[in-house]
Amino acid sequence: MKFVISRDALLKPLNLVAGVVERRQTLPILANVLLVLEGDQLALTGTDLEVELVGRVKLESPGEDGELTVPARKLVDICKSLPEGSEIEISASDNKVTVRSGRSRFTLSTLPARDFPSVDDSIGTHQFTVKQGQLRRLIERTGFAMAQQDVRYYLNGMLWELRSGRLRVVATDGHRLAMCTLAAELEAEDTQVILPRKGVLELSRLLLVDDQDISIVLGTNHIRATTDDFTFTSKLVDGKFPDYERVLPRSPDKAVIGSRLDLRQAFTRAAILSNEKYRGVRLKLSNDIMEIVANNPEQEQAEESVAVEYQGDSLEIGFNVSYLLDVLGVLTGEQIKLSMSDPNSSAQLEESEVDGDSVYVVMPMRL
Amino acid sequence: MSDIRQPDNPQQLRKILHIDMDAFFASVEQRDHPELRGKPIAVGGSALRGVVAAASYEARVFGVRSAMPSVTAKRHCPELIFVPHRFEVYREVSSQIREIFRRYTDLIEPLSLDEAYLDVTKDKQGIGSAIRIAELIRQAIRHETGLTASAGVSYNKFLAKIASDQNKPDGICVVLPQQGAEFVATLPARRFYGVGPKTAEKMAHLGIHTGADLRQQDLVFLRQHFGKSAEYLYHASRGVDHRPVKANRIRKSVGAERTYSQDLSSEAELCQALDQIVDIVWQRIEKNRARGRTITLKVKYSNFQQITRARSLDSYIPNRQCFAELGRQLLSELLPVPLSVRLLGLTLSSLEHELSNSGQAASQAVSAPQAKQYSFDF
Repeated sequence: MKFVISRDALLKPLNLVAGVVERRQTLPILANVLLVLEGDQLALTGTDLEVELVGRVKLESPGEDGELTVPARKLVDICKSLPEGSEIEISASDNKVTVRSGRSRFTLSTLPARDFPSVDDSIGTHQFTVKQGQLRRLIERTGFAMAQQDVRYYLNGMLWELRSGRLRVVATDGHRLAMCTLAAELEAEDTQVILPRKGVLELSRLLLVDDQDISIVLGTNHIRATTDDFTFTSKLVDGKFPDYERVLPRSPDKAVIGSRLDLRQAFTRAAILSNEKYRGVRLKLSNDIMEIVANNPEQEQAEESVAVEYQGDSLEIGFNVSYLLDVLGVLTGEQIKLSMSDPNSSAQLEESEVDGDSVYVVMPMRL
Repeated sequence: MSDIRQPDNPQQLRKILHIDMDAFFASVEQRDHPELRGKPIAVGGSALRGVVAAASYEARVFGVRSAMPSVTAKRHCPELIFVPHRFEVYREVSSQIREIFRRYTDLIEPLSLDEAYLDVTKDKQGIGSAIRIAELIRQAIRHETGLTASAGVSYNKFLAKIASDQNKPDGICVVLPQQGAEFVATLPARRFYGVGPKTAEKMAHLGIHTGADLRQQDLVFLRQHFGKSAEYLYHASRGVDHRPVKANRIRKSVGAERTYSQDLSSEAELCQALDQIVDIVWQRIEKNRARGRTITLKVKYSNFQQITRARSLDSYIPNRQCFAELGRQLLSELLPVPLSVRLLGLTLSSLEHELSNSGQAASQAVSAPQAKQYSFDF
């Protein structure tokens, strides 16, 4: 195998593919990236057995066909440190891979390409195509709420639900929940799958061109996403996602509308003097005013007062300010709506426009 | 933090005892087996992988020490007699001794089965003299258990502990307040708590050999070279140690480990071995009513290289099944093992005790009401 490619054409897919490669692998070959050349089509593959990513590049001229594996991290570091615009020649011989560029030459170890594992694929049962930008919005608006290393392993991921042709994604860590629904009509049967956290994060890195298509195939154990340049495959989490509709506040009787920016800035300032561990802030709501108070163990105190639209009974309620800021950070509307009922029940946040696609639920804190 | 809290009245001098049984396990065995008296014995397994749990004074003459591999011990002392341990007996004797302590004070901080700190500033019988109490305790131990103990008497834990070692076995040593600084000055650096062979070597390089040398150094210098231990060393080298004697010492972790007579290498063997450890640890967790957030897996390979892998959750590990599952996950990250495994261990830490009767914990709970994050009920 032998081919020539420009540094920049190689680096783009290589970076993404190498991202899948784990730092601590169980098998030595999982540290490698698989390169397969057929004519002028080069395919690069990285895997951790859970998530597999194949990147495709077209060469300017065909090389000698073949396949090989090389240490992913080292190849990335070599390519990155070569000057922009340089040409790279990669060739294999005698159990070594040689990378040449200008006056540089690197000889890398290799492992047999036939030993490179592929993620077992299952037969696709559901298929649909959306724009990359639509998917990016779904993930960006909810991904932050996924749990990390929770024992309830099904929370360490994102629910994708197809229902009546609508795709809805939901993430929750048990304290807060984020949900975003794609308005488009998809022609697919109803189903629910859970993508693992790592799969979600890697997938979001592939969504580079908003108005290009990405086609999704869901199988019983796998999801596969394909764009012009990449094929992404991930195992699904085998588990039952909680019934998210149960946590939506039933009939919150206190609805506040406020400027997203004003509230975000006020919370950001108050957060400075909140307890570093619990991050608690107190919201005191009365007619047209929301006061925000934070204390820390050093007895320091922050007080903010924000003008809001609200008429009704006063309410005092505590929240983890990080949870509120996470939501205010991904919303984009000018006004947001915060709906609550009492200090022990969940609160709902959303853009106040009528047909917002995102809903957030945050459980309060007792302070 | 609570452990460096000043005593209620910092002006008042405390009276602290450190009582340490002499060659405890070995002495119990010699007491119960007269034929072993006067002979070098080691409690522990003589098997290839055994470790000396305790050595009689006769064996110590040959350089046999506790925690020494049995094979090494045998080399030091070919006549060494190995005696299997009888922990139930040691535990029983240990509680007998604690009963004796309790006649004089309730402020008892056991460090292990065979040693404890006692705060006798206000003793129950109004004896008033710490030296007298130490002698009474040693007498009672001798009469009631047939064993000997050594005592250190001083005004803080650090000095009391060092003193108890001074005239061992069957001895007593008193460090009076006016003698403290002088006593510490002559101590080799190695005797300070937390100074092991490595640190001692480092100290020697810096020209620090004794307590007096340590005392010459300022806090900045100590921090720079010894990090977290700096404050302790700074104070200890001046004979100062404010740590209170803590009854109901708060446990920091619950765990267990096993060394296997034959190394394990297959996944099936390792998983089975881990399951057994899970059983042991979980029983201890339940017995201690402990709840913890961190699980640590310890693996020692056949070349003695030891690694640990830990995982912390945001919430407490709720049940045995989850604990087992996490342990299995940590193990699976190491599979296939590069070398066979001689030891496996699991520990639960980041503990919060569900219920604690100790006044300390209760008062902390009152003074710092904790914020509580509500969760969804799914």
